Amino acid sequence: MDCKYACDVMSVKSEFVWYEETSVKGFDCVILPGGFSYGDYLRSGVLAKFSPIMNAVLDFAKKGGYVMGICNGFQILTEIHLLVGTLLKNNNLRFIHKDVNLKLENSSCFFTRYSKKDVLKLPIAHGEGNYFCSDDDLKYLEDNGMIAMRYSSSDGKMDIANNPNGSVANIAGITNKEGNVFGLMPHPERAVGDLGKDGEYIWKSLGI
Amino acid sequence: MKYTVIVTPKKAILDPQGKAIKNVAQNYLGKTIDSIRVGKYFEIETDEPLETVEKLAKNILSNEVIEDYRVLKS
Repeated sequence: MDCKYACDVMSVKSEFVWYEETSVKGFDCVILPGGFSYGDYLRSGVLAKFSPIMNAVLDFAKKGGYVMGICNGFQILTEIHLLVGTLLKNNNLRFIHKDVNLKLENSSCFFTRYSKKDVLKLPIAHGEGNYFCSDDDLKYLEDNGMIAMRYSSSDGKMDIANNPNGSVANIAGITNKEGNVFGLMPHPERAVGDLGKDGEYIWKSLGI
Repeated sequence: MKYTVIVTPKKAILDPQGKAIKNVAQNYLGKTIDSIRVGKYFEIETDEPLETVEKLAKNILSNEVIEDYRVLKS
Protein backbone atom coordinates (compact mmCIF):
# COMPACT_ATOMS: atom_id res chain seq x y z
CA MET A 1 0.00 0.00 0.00
CA ASP A 2 2.88 2.36 0.79
CA CYS A 3 4.40 1.75 -2.63
CA LYS A 4 1.05 2.37 -4.30
CA TYR A 5 0.80 5.63 -2.34
CA ALA A 6 4.28 6.64 -3.47
CA CYS A 7 3.49 5.83 -7.11
CA ASP A 8 0.27 7.84 -6.92
CA VAL A 9 1.97 10.83 -5.28
CA MET A 10 4.74 10.71 -7.87
CA SER A 11 2.31 10.20 -10.78
CA VAL A 12 3.83 6.84 -11.64
CA LYS A 13 1.10 4.65 -13.12
CA SER A 14 0.96 1.42 -11.12
CA GLU A 15 -1.12 -1.66 -10.51
CA PHE A 16 -1.08 -4.43 -7.92
CA VAL A 17 -0.17 -7.88 -9.18
CA TRP A 18 -1.46 -10.76 -7.04
CA TYR A 19 1.15 -13.32 -5.97
CA GLU A 20 -0.80 -16.16 -7.59
CA GLU A 21 -0.73 -14.53 -11.00
CA THR A 22 1.76 -15.79 -13.56
CA SER A 23 2.58 -12.81 -15.77
CA VAL A 24 3.99 -9.30 -15.50
CA LYS A 25 3.47 -8.60 -19.18
CA GLY A 26 3.04 -4.96 -20.08
CA PHE A 27 4.92 -3.59 -17.06
CA ASP A 28 8.14 -1.57 -17.29
CA CYS A 29 9.14 -2.13 -13.69
CA VAL A 30 8.23 -4.59 -10.94
CA ILE A 31 8.41 -3.52 -7.30
CA LEU A 32 8.58 -6.14 -4.57
CA PRO A 33 7.50 -4.16 -1.52
CA GLY A 34 8.39 -4.69 2.09
CA GLY A 35 6.36 -6.63 4.62
CA PHE A 36 6.54 -10.15 5.98
CA SER A 37 5.76 -12.59 3.19
CA TYR A 38 4.68 -15.97 4.58
CA GLY A 39 5.26 -14.66 8.09
CA ASP A 40 9.04 -14.76 7.50
CA TYR A 41 8.85 -18.49 8.27
CA LEU A 42 12.03 -20.50 7.68
CA ARG A 43 13.99 -17.44 6.43
CA SER A 44 12.85 -14.02 5.31
CA GLY A 45 11.82 -14.11 1.68
CA VAL A 46 12.55 -17.77 1.02
CA LEU A 47 8.98 -19.08 0.80
CA ALA A 48 7.88 -16.14 -1.34
CA LYS A 49 10.36 -17.14 -4.01
CA PHE A 50 8.15 -20.12 -4.77
CA SER A 51 5.05 -17.97 -5.37
CA PRO A 52 3.58 -18.47 -8.86
CA ILE A 53 4.33 -14.87 -9.84
CA MET A 54 8.05 -15.19 -9.10
CA ASN A 55 8.81 -17.22 -12.22
CA ALA A 56 7.43 -14.34 -14.26
CA VAL A 57 9.46 -11.83 -12.24
CA LEU A 58 12.63 -13.89 -12.68
CA ASP A 59 12.04 -14.13 -16.41
CA PHE A 60 11.27 -10.40 -16.60
CA ALA A 61 14.50 -9.52 -14.77
CA LYS A 62 16.62 -11.84 -16.89
CA LYS A 63 15.30 -10.11 -20.00
CA GLY A 64 16.43 -6.76 -18.59
CA GLY A 65 13.18 -5.60 -16.98
CA TYR A 66 13.61 -3.27 -14.01
CA VAL A 67 12.97 -4.86 -10.63
CA MET A 68 13.20 -3.09 -7.29
CA GLY A 69 12.92 -5.01 -4.02
CA ILE A 70 12.41 -3.04 -0.84
CA CYS A 71 13.13 -4.58 2.58
CA ASN A 72 11.42 -8.00 2.42
CA GLY A 73 11.51 -7.55 -1.36
CA PHE A 74 15.32 -7.27 -1.12
CA GLN A 75 15.37 -10.48 0.92
CA ILE A 76 13.32 -12.22 -1.78
CA LEU A 77 15.71 -11.01 -4.51
CA THR A 78 18.68 -12.53 -2.68
CA GLU A 79 16.84 -15.81 -2.09
CA ILE A 80 15.97 -16.01 -5.79
CA HIS A 81 19.65 -15.31 -6.61
CA LEU A 82 18.99 -12.18 -8.65
CA LEU A 83 21.21 -10.43 -6.11
CA VAL A 84 24.22 -11.85 -4.28
CA GLY A 85 24.51 -12.27 -0.53
CA THR A 86 21.79 -12.49 2.07
CA LEU A 87 20.30 -10.58 5.01
CA LEU A 88 20.90 -11.72 8.56
CA LYS A 89 19.31 -10.67 11.82
CA ASN A 90 20.42 -7.21 12.90
CA ASN A 91 23.58 -7.57 14.93
CA ASN A 92 21.90 -6.05 17.99
CA LEU A 93 19.00 -8.56 17.56
CA ARG A 94 16.48 -5.74 17.68
CA PHE A 95 13.94 -4.47 15.23
CA ILE A 96 15.23 -1.08 14.13
CA HIS A 97 12.91 1.68 13.03
CA LYS A 98 14.50 5.05 12.37
CA ASP A 99 15.67 7.45 9.70
CA VAL A 100 19.16 6.77 8.36
CA ASN A 101 21.53 8.58 6.02
CA LEU A 102 22.55 6.80 2.87
CA LYS A 103 25.51 7.67 0.69
CA LEU A 104 24.78 7.02 -2.97
CA GLU A 105 27.71 5.13 -4.45
CA ASN A 106 26.96 4.86 -8.13
CA SER A 107 25.78 7.93 -10.03
CA SER A 108 24.92 5.84 -13.07
CA CYS A 109 22.63 3.52 -11.10
CA PHE A 110 19.25 3.55 -12.87
CA PHE A 111 17.29 3.61 -9.62
CA THR A 112 19.08 6.60 -8.07
CA ARG A 113 20.19 8.48 -11.20
CA TYR A 114 17.90 11.48 -10.71
CA SER A 115 18.97 12.16 -7.15
CA LYS A 116 20.14 15.72 -6.61
CA LYS A 117 21.84 14.73 -3.38
CA ASP A 118 24.78 12.47 -2.58
CA VAL A 119 23.33 11.50 0.77
CA LEU A 120 19.66 10.59 1.17
CA LYS A 121 17.70 10.38 4.39
CA LEU A 122 15.27 7.44 4.37
CA PRO A 123 13.56 5.36 7.04
CA ILE A 124 14.53 1.78 7.82
CA ALA A 125 12.22 -0.65 9.60
CA HIS A 126 13.56 -4.19 9.84
CA GLY A 127 14.72 -6.98 12.09
CA GLU A 128 16.79 -8.74 9.44
CA GLY A 129 18.63 -6.13 7.42
CA ASN A 130 22.18 -7.10 8.22
CA TYR A 131 23.60 -7.56 4.73
CA PHE A 132 26.11 -10.37 4.47
CA CYS A 133 28.14 -11.77 1.60
CA SER A 134 31.43 -13.63 1.17
CA ASP A 135 34.68 -11.70 0.68
CA ASP A 136 34.70 -12.79 -2.96
CA ASP A 137 31.17 -11.49 -3.48
CA LEU A 138 32.04 -8.19 -1.79
CA LYS A 139 34.94 -7.76 -4.18
CA TYR A 140 32.64 -8.66 -7.08
CA LEU A 141 30.13 -6.01 -5.93
CA GLU A 142 32.81 -3.35 -5.50
CA ASP A 143 34.69 -4.13 -8.73
CA ASN A 144 31.51 -3.89 -10.78
CA GLY A 145 30.02 -0.78 -9.15
CA MET A 146 27.07 -2.78 -7.85
CA ILE A 147 26.86 -1.13 -4.42
CA ALA A 148 24.14 1.47 -4.83
CA MET A 149 23.99 2.90 -1.31
CA ARG A 150 25.72 2.57 2.05
CA TYR A 151 24.75 3.63 5.56
CA SER A 152 26.59 6.84 6.39
CA SER A 153 26.55 10.02 8.43
CA SER A 154 24.70 13.06 7.07
CA ASP A 155 27.95 14.19 5.48
CA GLY A 156 28.60 10.84 3.88
CA LYS A 157 31.03 9.29 6.36
CA MET A 158 30.66 5.51 6.19
CA ASP A 159 31.89 4.06 9.44
CA ILE A 160 30.80 1.63 12.10
CA ALA A 161 29.08 4.36 14.11
CA ASN A 162 26.73 4.90 11.19
CA ASN A 163 26.05 1.24 10.54
CA PRO A 164 22.68 0.49 12.15
CA ASN A 165 22.50 -3.28 11.70
CA GLY A 166 25.99 -4.70 11.16
CA SER A 167 25.85 -4.89 7.36
CA VAL A 168 29.08 -5.81 5.59
CA ALA A 169 30.81 -2.64 4.32
CA ASN A 170 27.80 -0.58 5.46
CA ILE A 171 25.81 -1.90 2.49
CA ALA A 172 22.18 -0.75 2.38
CA GLY A 173 21.37 -1.37 -1.27
CA ILE A 174 22.90 -3.23 -4.21
CA THR A 175 22.15 -3.99 -7.84
CA ASN A 176 22.90 -6.93 -10.07
CA LYS A 177 25.79 -6.64 -12.50
CA GLU A 178 23.54 -5.48 -15.34
CA GLY A 179 22.04 -2.81 -13.08
CA ASN A 180 18.38 -3.61 -13.76
CA VAL A 181 17.71 -5.32 -10.42
CA PHE A 182 17.94 -3.26 -7.24
CA GLY A 183 17.46 -4.33 -3.64
CA LEU A 184 17.52 -2.01 -0.65
CA MET A 185 16.59 -2.22 3.01
CA PRO A 186 15.46 1.44 3.45
CA HIS A 187 11.94 2.45 2.49
CA PRO A 188 11.90 5.17 -0.20
CA GLU A 189 8.10 4.83 -0.43
CA ARG A 190 7.85 6.21 3.11
CA ALA A 191 9.70 9.40 2.22
CA VAL A 192 7.51 10.94 -0.45
CA GLY A 193 4.77 13.57 -0.40
CA ASP A 194 3.80 14.44 3.16
CA LEU A 195 6.19 11.84 4.57
CA GLY A 196 9.48 13.23 3.26
CA LYS A 197 11.34 14.27 0.18
CA ASP A 198 14.36 12.09 -0.37
CA GLY A 199 12.37 9.01 -1.39
CA GLU A 200 11.06 10.98 -4.33
CA TYR A 201 14.43 10.84 -6.07
CA ILE A 202 14.11 7.07 -6.32
CA TRP A 203 10.61 7.24 -7.79
CA LYS A 204 11.68 9.98 -10.18
CA SER A 205 14.58 7.80 -11.26
CA LEU A 206 12.14 5.08 -12.28
CA GLY A 207 11.24 7.67 -14.90
CA ILE A 208 8.42 5.62 -16.25
CA MET B 1 10.75 -43.00 5.74
CA LYS B 2 11.83 -40.47 8.33
CA TYR B 3 14.58 -38.00 7.75
CA THR B 4 16.11 -35.36 9.92
CA VAL B 5 17.66 -32.23 8.48
CA ILE B 6 19.89 -30.05 10.63
CA VAL B 7 20.80 -26.59 9.43
CA THR B 8 23.56 -24.68 11.19
CA PRO B 9 25.16 -21.28 10.61
CA LYS B 10 28.54 -21.55 8.86
CA LYS B 11 31.53 -21.27 11.18
CA ALA B 12 32.58 -17.91 9.76
CA ILE B 13 29.17 -16.33 10.34
CA LEU B 14 28.60 -14.31 13.47
CA ASP B 15 25.58 -15.75 15.27
CA PRO B 16 24.23 -12.96 17.49
CA GLN B 17 21.38 -15.17 18.72
CA GLY B 18 23.78 -17.85 19.88
CA LYS B 19 25.99 -15.24 21.49
CA ALA B 20 23.06 -13.75 23.45
CA ILE B 21 22.01 -17.21 24.65
CA LYS B 22 25.60 -18.07 25.58
CA ASN B 23 25.89 -14.94 27.73
CA VAL B 24 22.65 -15.67 29.58
CA ALA B 25 23.59 -19.35 29.97
CA GLN B 26 26.95 -18.42 31.52
CA ASN B 27 25.31 -16.05 33.96
CA TYR B 28 22.67 -18.64 34.89
CA LEU B 29 25.11 -21.50 35.33
CA GLY B 30 28.03 -19.55 36.67
CA LYS B 31 30.16 -21.71 34.37
CA THR B 32 32.09 -21.13 31.17
CA ILE B 33 30.37 -21.96 27.91
CA ASP B 34 32.74 -21.62 24.97
CA SER B 35 30.16 -21.30 22.25
CA ILE B 36 26.47 -21.71 21.44
CA ARG B 37 25.30 -21.61 17.87
CA VAL B 38 21.65 -21.70 16.91
CA GLY B 39 20.44 -23.78 14.00
CA LYS B 40 17.24 -25.36 12.72
CA TYR B 41 15.95 -28.91 12.95
CA PHE B 42 13.44 -30.47 10.55
CA GLU B 43 11.63 -33.81 10.84
CA ILE B 44 10.50 -34.99 7.44
CA GLU B 45 8.35 -37.99 6.55
CA THR B 46 8.30 -39.13 2.93
CA ASP B 47 8.78 -42.26 0.82
CA GLU B 48 11.09 -40.32 -1.48
CA PRO B 49 14.80 -41.26 -1.57
CA LEU B 50 17.60 -39.46 0.23
CA GLU B 51 18.47 -37.43 -2.90
CA THR B 52 15.07 -35.75 -2.84
CA VAL B 53 15.50 -34.71 0.76
CA GLU B 54 19.05 -33.53 -0.01
CA LYS B 55 17.61 -31.33 -2.77
CA LEU B 56 15.00 -29.93 -0.39
CA ALA B 57 17.63 -29.26 2.28
CA LYS B 58 19.97 -27.58 -0.18
CA ASN B 59 17.46 -25.43 -2.05
CA ILE B 60 14.81 -24.52 0.49
CA LEU B 61 15.70 -25.43 4.05
CA SER B 62 19.15 -23.82 4.01
CA ASN B 63 20.82 -20.83 2.40
CA GLU B 64 24.28 -21.81 1.20
CA VAL B 65 25.62 -18.30 1.70
CA ILE B 66 25.32 -18.57 5.45
CA GLU B 67 24.33 -22.10 6.43
CA ASP B 68 25.45 -25.74 6.25
CA TYR B 69 23.05 -28.66 6.32
CA ARG B 70 23.15 -32.35 7.25
CA VAL B 71 20.54 -34.91 6.26
CA LEU B 72 20.16 -37.93 8.52
CA LYS B 73 18.04 -40.98 7.75
CA SER B 74 16.36 -42.41 10.84
